[in-house]
Amino acid sequence: MQPAKPTFESYKRDPKLYDEIFDETDQVREIYNTLFDLYSEHSAADFNRLNNKAKSSFFNQGITFQVYGDHEVKEKIFPFDLFPRIIDPSEWEIIETGVLQRSKALNEFLWDLYHDKKIIKNGIVPLELISSSVNYLDQMNGFDPPGGIYNHISGTDIIKHSDGQYYVLEDNIRCPSGVSYVICNRTALKRALFGVFNHYQTHSVTNYAENLLEMMESVKPHGVDIPNCVVITPGIYNSAYYEHSYLAKAMGVELVEGRDLFVENDFVYMKTINGPEKVDVIYRRIDDQFLDPLEFRPDSALGVPGLMAAYKQGNVCLVNAPGTGVADDKAIYTYMPEIIKYYLNEEPILNNVPTYHCSRPDELQYVLDHIPELVVKPVDEAGGYGISIGNKLTSEEIEEVKKTLKAHPRKYIAQPIMSLSVHPTYIEESECFEPRHVDLRTFTLLGADKSFVLKGGLTRVALRKGNLIVNSSQGGGSKDTWILKNNQ
Amino acid sequence: MLARVANNLFWMGRYIERAEHVARYLNVNYFASLDAPNEQSQSRQFVLQSMLFMADDLIDLESELDEEKVLYDIGLNPEKSFSIISYVKAARENANSARDLISTELYEAINKFYHFVLNYDVDNYVKRGLYDFSIQVTENSSILRGKIRGTLLHDEVYAIIMLGINIERATQIIRIINSKYRDATVALGSYGDTLKNSYEWTTLLKCAESYDMMRRFYRKTPTSINTLEFLILNPDCPRSVMNSLNQVKKHIYVLSDEKLPSKNSAAFQIGKVKAKYQYKVIEEIESDLQTFIQNILDDLNGIALKLENDYFHY
Repeated sequence: MQPAKPTFESYKRDPKLYDEIFDETDQVREIYNTLFDLYSEHSAADFNRLNNKAKSSFFNQGITFQVYGDHEVKEKIFPFDLFPRIIDPSEWEIIETGVLQRSKALNEFLWDLYHDKKIIKNGIVPLELISSSVNYLDQMNGFDPPGGIYNHISGTDIIKHSDGQYYVLEDNIRCPSGVSYVICNRTALKRALFGVFNHYQTHSVTNYAENLLEMMESVKPHGVDIPNCVVITPGIYNSAYYEHSYLAKAMGVELVEGRDLFVENDFVYMKTINGPEKVDVIYRRIDDQFLDPLEFRPDSALGVPGLMAAYKQGNVCLVNAPGTGVADDKAIYTYMPEIIKYYLNEEPILNNVPTYHCSRPDELQYVLDHIPELVVKPVDEAGGYGISIGNKLTSEEIEEVKKTLKAHPRKYIAQPIMSLSVHPTYIEESECFEPRHVDLRTFTLLGADKSFVLKGGLTRVALRKGNLIVNSSQGGGSKDTWILKNNQ
Repeated sequence: MLARVANNLFWMGRYIERAEHVARYLNVNYFASLDAPNEQSQSRQFVLQSMLFMADDLIDLESELDEEKVLYDIGLNPEKSFSIISYVKAARENANSARDLISTELYEAINKFYHFVLNYDVDNYVKRGLYDFSIQVTENSSILRGKIRGTLLHDEVYAIIMLGINIERATQIIRIINSKYRDATVALGSYGDTLKNSYEWTTLLKCAESYDMMRRFYRKTPTSINTLEFLILNPDCPRSVMNSLNQVKKHIYVLSDEKLPSKNSAAFQIGKVKAKYQYKVIEEIESDLQTFIQNILDDLNGIALKLENDYFHY
């Protein structure tokens, strides 16, 4: 028999990057000490076995996302890494208050955009930015959503840079997904390595659904006593269907599709075996443009005719509110520090990545001159698509990017290439741990007089060596994320 | 509960039951034929025809059948709507749409079942894997039934799945009886002396997993009369038509709160069908089995249609 191969033996720390486990002197950071010792006891063979077990557990439970092939839809599991990420309570404090601050500021911003537009009148955010946004909905003008909330659910993407500081990459306030993986990852890790939890006091992540339901109930329409809440999904073929069904099940509410609902006299009903039943709060996981064929895309089969009218009558609450997309545009992101100061009169707790907006001529010029040092991103794409990373481009590709930028400056922003921190990740091919870039998505809930940040988050891992893009649609994986309790 | 989802759960129950009965029919018939006591029952063409007749409504009985093709079509051909793989896929898709209503344990069992069938090696199956495959399909179905009974709330969701399962069970038992009756007619005279004593009745009982209990109940060799009586009229035989109808009647009352169901309701129609068969005598059925089979299939269809109209229309 071959001697067991130590899985950390070949680990090489890159001195240019922030390593979550090893400090500048190659010592294990204190918070990881116990965990590192525990994991070092395992051989590569152990990890292979546990890794395969975890994979088949996800597969059997149907915790998969769909990849569309030529003939058939293939199911893939979101790769799960067995080495958890630990966040220190004092660092978490900063993240938690920081994301909550951003969510609150964005909510105020949305209220203002759909009412007095003071921030534009005061010259802080330029009018063109709003008027040119496809996500601004005229239908929402002057409308007061129940509880005064627009972005009930926000997902904030955060990275740690080589300076050891956290930076926000983007705010997702349309339909941020991934929270179900946070909970599944925790379950999977507990099953695979249950012993490790005896050594750390970690905050639970299983209370998300109860807080989500409480939040939804807090924004019930006026005059409703006990609200009937539902989750609406585009259907079983949607790539995030697992999450939709998970959330509905965990809250104990119905998971509906557009065809299950109808509107009569501006009230929304679902078609049940006992006849129509009124619906009061809808957590919608379909995009604005598909919500109501009478208001938006007439060809939408996913939505409910008349839903917007019922909403505007105040008879149903939509979570998140339609039209929130105008505020999570990457161009708006540029203004987040000003937006926070304007509405909350506070300094931003979390850093923004310095951003150049190509619609401003002088900044466009800077971007054109410095493409190899920058990441160029479209303002309205999700899933990591359309991104050009400057130092990976050939000179022809650089010229190509310049041409695109000159043709559509409003569509792009550019940021310095941030060096996302790395975390040891078990790599199947080499059967040992290697550093891989990670980010963190947090989940924030805003309700009427209620807010909640999930103590945990989705740590996404870019599985290909050197790759900075962590999105699952681009082959990324994820890790369980521990927020430690204060007393250790 | 959403009407659309109720419909899906009803069909989930039906598809699970259907997959199981088809798999068992394949298994029992194929292996019973290998050492059957007469040439006719041993004939491969005879057995293949019987399998196809049970699985598919539209079989051409004249043409020469190829064993591997028949096994593939009934077991793993995704292009055939009557194949086991199609039933399991449909059951899983229906479960998927109701994933928030059923237990994680049930969903996981269905999902595992689906992946088992999906990844079963076709070549192995048609050449030597029939026993393994069909046994695993029936065992997986048993696991699903266990998870349905043991992990779901016995509420509307459960009632709807059970309605689907029991209507389908009655239908499949009738289909199996129909196939075996046909086999017994074809094999007539080759064993014993008459249709009454055909070897096919034993196979029929085994197809319904009822052979041992039938022997215990009658302490007699299976004949047409006692076999049909056991499988159609005995309310204590878990797979009998009568037991299935009793179950259907029981579960409809979870959905309908009327003590005296109105004459247009599904509950009323179910009660009527049940009463019609409750006091039948087997001699009457056996003397004209074909008519009986047609009538009961029509009755079961009628019940399913009524349920659809009353509860699943959306």
